[in-house]
Amino acid sequence: MAALLEVRDVARSFRGLQVLRDVSFDVEEGGIVGLIGPNGAGKSTLFNIISGFLASDRGQVIYAGADISGRSVPQRSRAGLVRTFQTPQVFAHLTVLENLIAGCYKHTNTGVLANLFASRRSRSELHRMHADAEAACEKFGLTAVRHRPAGKLPGGQQRLVELARAVIGKPRLLCLDEPSSGLNTGEVTGLMAALERLAAEGITILLVSHDMDLVKVASVIHVLCFGEIIARGPLVEIRRDARVREAYLGA
Amino acid sequence: MNGTLLLQSVIVGITNGFVYALVGLGIAVVFRGTRIINAMQGEFSLVGGLVAFVVVEQLGWPLGVAAVSGVLAGGVVGFAMEWLLVRPTRRRGVGEESYLLLTLGVAFAISAAVLYFIGRDTRSLPGIGGEGSALVFDAAIRHHAIWLVVLSSAVMLLLRLFYDRTRIGLSMMAASIDEEGAATIGINVPLMRSLSFLLGGLVGGLAGVLVSPLVTIHYEMGLLLTLKGFAAAILGGLLNPFGAVVGGVTLGLIESLAVLSVSSGYKDVVAMTLLIVIMIILPNGILGRGSRKGG
Amino acid sequence: MLVFTGLYSIAGLGVAFLLGQCGIVSLAQSVFFGIGAYASAYCTTQLNWWAPSGFVIGIAASAALAVAVGWPILRLSGYFLALATLALAMIGQVLFLEWDWLTGGTLGIGGIPKLSLFGFDLRTPQRFYYFVWPVAVLVLWLHANLLGARNGFATRAMRDAPAAAAVLGIDTHVLKVKIFVSSAVLGSLGGSLFAHYVSFVSVDSFTVERAINFLLLAVLGGAKTIVGTVLGAGFVTVMPHWLTGFGDIHPLLFAACLIAAVMFLPEGFGGALQRALRRGREA
Repeated sequence: MAALLEVRDVARSFRGLQVLRDVSFDVEEGGIVGLIGPNGAGKSTLFNIISGFLASDRGQVIYAGADISGRSVPQRSRAGLVRTFQTPQVFAHLTVLENLIAGCYKHTNTGVLANLFASRRSRSELHRMHADAEAACEKFGLTAVRHRPAGKLPGGQQRLVELARAVIGKPRLLCLDEPSSGLNTGEVTGLMAALERLAAEGITILLVSHDMDLVKVASVIHVLCFGEIIARGPLVEIRRDARVREAYLGA
Repeated sequence: MNGTLLLQSVIVGITNGFVYALVGLGIAVVFRGTRIINAMQGEFSLVGGLVAFVVVEQLGWPLGVAAVSGVLAGGVVGFAMEWLLVRPTRRRGVGEESYLLLTLGVAFAISAAVLYFIGRDTRSLPGIGGEGSALVFDAAIRHHAIWLVVLSSAVMLLLRLFYDRTRIGLSMMAASIDEEGAATIGINVPLMRSLSFLLGGLVGGLAGVLVSPLVTIHYEMGLLLTLKGFAAAILGGLLNPFGAVVGGVTLGLIESLAVLSVSSGYKDVVAMTLLIVIMIILPNGILGRGSRKGG
Repeated sequence: MLVFTGLYSIAGLGVAFLLGQCGIVSLAQSVFFGIGAYASAYCTTQLNWWAPSGFVIGIAASAALAVAVGWPILRLSGYFLALATLALAMIGQVLFLEWDWLTGGTLGIGGIPKLSLFGFDLRTPQRFYYFVWPVAVLVLWLHANLLGARNGFATRAMRDAPAAAAVLGIDTHVLKVKIFVSSAVLGSLGGSLFAHYVSFVSVDSFTVERAINFLLLAVLGGAKTIVGTVLGAGFVTVMPHWLTGFGDIHPLLFAACLIAAVMFLPEGFGGALQRALRRGREA
């Protein structure tokens, strides 16, 4: 069976600086895959190309068997490919609950006109969105703060809001960009548990991080260094790899 | 269409182009130093032109003194504007649109103040070199127009040198690019912002003094001048030092050729359409270098 | 007086919605206001058509223009978008003057008939008042609905964090165009009502200054709240009249009020009022 996400020979340069050189890797359906690398390895660039925020110079991104290189961010999202951001991007002036309601956008379909006139469908849909959002708050431990503006929450909870908001849209592939940055040890443990739970629910997770503790949850890890994948495999193997040690310790 | 007429309109276009370039340059100066688009740049010119007029006509002093006072008046308004209004607003940490509204509000206030204190009449300054003109292949160029082009070019060159060579010019740039970094190496960031507005005001005042002999001074002249200047600055690329000249002259030429071929009423339509189109397809201006920031 | 407040609220709500919920500064509302007004004026006086046809044609033309112009310019953001709309208002102002076969140029179009509703003439200001306000309230109600529904949440999400909104599957560009169109429709509706109320339209009513007034109404009232827009509309209409008592200095005082509002009331009257109420309730 083909992998859920296939990155094929992706290359990208900025003003003559080659950031990614023909990067290829697969993410199999189910489970957690890690993508690690030292600072400046090109992780963010690769991540932006996968999620559609950047175009690659060469190569393809194949998702669920189709080349999605030319598709927009919303199109990829509707196909189930969802990402989070390194600095959490919550809707600051909306409450936590409203953030999650906004997350239901993909699975609802009333138009602006129906909303204006508060048609019956629009109202029942709103009702359903509310219920879903409440349930998600419960699941992610956000019930106590659900009526507070998301922008006013501490960083760790903002991350949870972002994660819950992504999950409520029923993603197939969830790409997380440095989800542990700004979290304390206890919060990281909580996050690891949450990720394993989501993976068990059938969501495939691509985890970008330089946090070696967090990537323990990943079954396969790809190591990106200076725009190239230099190693891949389970964590124990990666740790033994000479090139990886050089990249991390020598840098 | 005969050659003389064409040449004449090219000359008019270039002259107007330099006026737009000066206004655009003022907008670029303020933007480069503060990342604010100043919607009252044209009002600096209104004030500058008026002060020069009052000095010449009411006080009867020589034109040179009047010109200098006009330029200084623009600078004073610019500095006061930053110090009294922009700075307190900045302390509240507001978004881009607030600055736009603030500067628009001031533009209104100045226009309304001119209406109240001076009235609806139009006025114009005598040109440099009087009303005399030179002939080039049967097309007349007013001496003043030549002065305008020469003086504006000189100002642009000086500004270029100021930003590249002087300590204070470099500090002004640094303050806007990396506020915290500039502060840590001992640059007085708020002062640099005030200076950017001061400089923008001086350039605006000069534009007012130079334009008044060509176009009449009128309380409503500011906004259109601002927009044309902005078009010039955008056309050339906001962060490009010589952009405003290229943009201004291009805009001026297109406008005057449009008058020749369509009708004078559509002059502003052509200019504004061009502004919109340029922003959409050439966000970095026709010179196309440097990145656009603040958009 | 209060009729104008209602009229301006309708058109101003479009601007306020764009500013408060989408973070878009639109200075082009005078264009749509003008299209509505001229459509009504032309249809009723030159073609002798039934009054509602003017409303419909104005709204259709405004919506079409909003799509055609909004599609490219809504890719811009911040200052650039604001200035593009200002340029649009400039173009509108000139075209309303130049296309005199349609607009009557400087002379304008007079003798626009009063509206009648179910055989009931809205001849006096009082009667018109009872017509305009329900329309304004209806429009406000519709927008309150939108705010609390799927696309309303999406709009506010887009305002706060556009990249994250795109990740949730919200096509931000299309949504912006839709909101821009609905804003234009409101502008046109306000314009048509205006034409029937004053029965004479000329270029002076659709200048860039009018567009700025609409924006002021949004800022002063507080674009984030719907109540604020009405308060803002009240301010923008009542204030100049009241200030006229001071003579020619009134535009100056008016501009000063605007500056003060931007500096000291970032959430406008609506926001300040809401805050005061909340404080009162907690105390």
